[in-house]
Amino acid sequence: MARRKKKNEEAELEANLLPVMNVMFLLIPALLLAMEVARFAAVTVTPPKFAAQADEKKEEKKEEKPLNLKVFIMEDGYRVSAQGQQQGAEAGKSADSNKPTIPLAKPGAPLDDFARYDYAKLEAEAARYKSLFAHETVVTISAENSIPMQALINTMDALRGSDCKLLKAMMGEEVPPECYFWQPIVEAGAG
Amino acid sequence: MTPEELFQAKKAAKKAARRNKPDENASLQLTSLMDVVSIIVVYLLKSYGSDPVLITPTGGQKIPMSKADSPIQDGIPVYISKRAITFGSKKIVQLDENGDIDPAALQNHLIGPLYDAMAEEADKAKQMAVAQGKTENDWSARVILVGDETLKFSTLVDVMYTAGRAEFREYAFCVIQSNG
Repeated sequence: MARRKKKNEEAELEANLLPVMNVMFLLIPALLLAMEVARFAAVTVTPPKFAAQADEKKEEKKEEKPLNLKVFIMEDGYRVSAQGQQQGAEAGKSADSNKPTIPLAKPGAPLDDFARYDYAKLEAEAARYKSLFAHETVVTISAENSIPMQALINTMDALRGSDCKLLKAMMGEEVPPECYFWQPIVEAGAG
Repeated sequence: MTPEELFQAKKAAKKAARRNKPDENASLQLTSLMDVVSIIVVYLLKSYGSDPVLITPTGGQKIPMSKADSPIQDGIPVYISKRAITFGSKKIVQLDENGDIDPAALQNHLIGPLYDAMAEEADKAKQMAVAQGKTENDWSARVILVGDETLKFSTLVDVMYTAGRAEFREYAFCVIQSNG
């Protein structure tokens, strides 16, 4: 009698895992559907009235004339100006709205061809300005009404620098030197 | 007994033994499968919960590509597709085939219906901040602009102006990270 009781106690009890498995198999497609297929990122933009950081830096370095870099995206290229003077403007003029400073890389290409602008040349200009004004990080960007958002984003990428990685800087590390003008101010009708 | 008879006798004995044996219950071993599935579910749950904002682009919307690597921070998304501006899962304003805002909804860069919706959202966020023991200015005043790649600059500026009037102080453009 005692021996039979012992046999019963030793019998293994297996948990029924099938309902749990059913739930798990339903969870997998649900989570896969909700998962991001593409990795999203953000380009932080400063509206004009909140350009406080640039002002603070101006106060710190009063002896140095501020760069005040402005890039205007036109249908026929970029108009770049710094320190109130447009690059390539006629002698004695501060601005020459007829001519772009950096003409199109693909003249005659439609507006939805986002590679029509000369981003490489713009980045080279940004690098040149950065070497002259190492502490400057702010750039004011404006565009003609018809300019598509992708062209604006590509312009921001070029001005920030193609090798610029700001992820570590957001976690408290220093901004890497390959980042040029990474604080864009979007302005309507600036030029 | 010949080898053939011996073989047959052995075969018959084996058959008899098999017949007397009780049927074995075939049971599926689920434990290892369960381990694998649990790991997959945990991984998917983690990747699902890593972003503070869930961006769900509207149909036909192409989000611009960028080399930017900054993660999206907490904020309120505004979707601007080719045909409409969507806020809080509601279509607020229709855009025409040229991507321009309906002139009836636009007054001096201010998009009326969008301003109403955003101001209401801002008030709710402020009340939440006060209820949590913060001041009215401590609310997350960030707006995430989820635009289409062909979105016109004039429309973008109008949305930004409207968000500014509704007391949103920080702006971020949502982009898809490109590897190149």
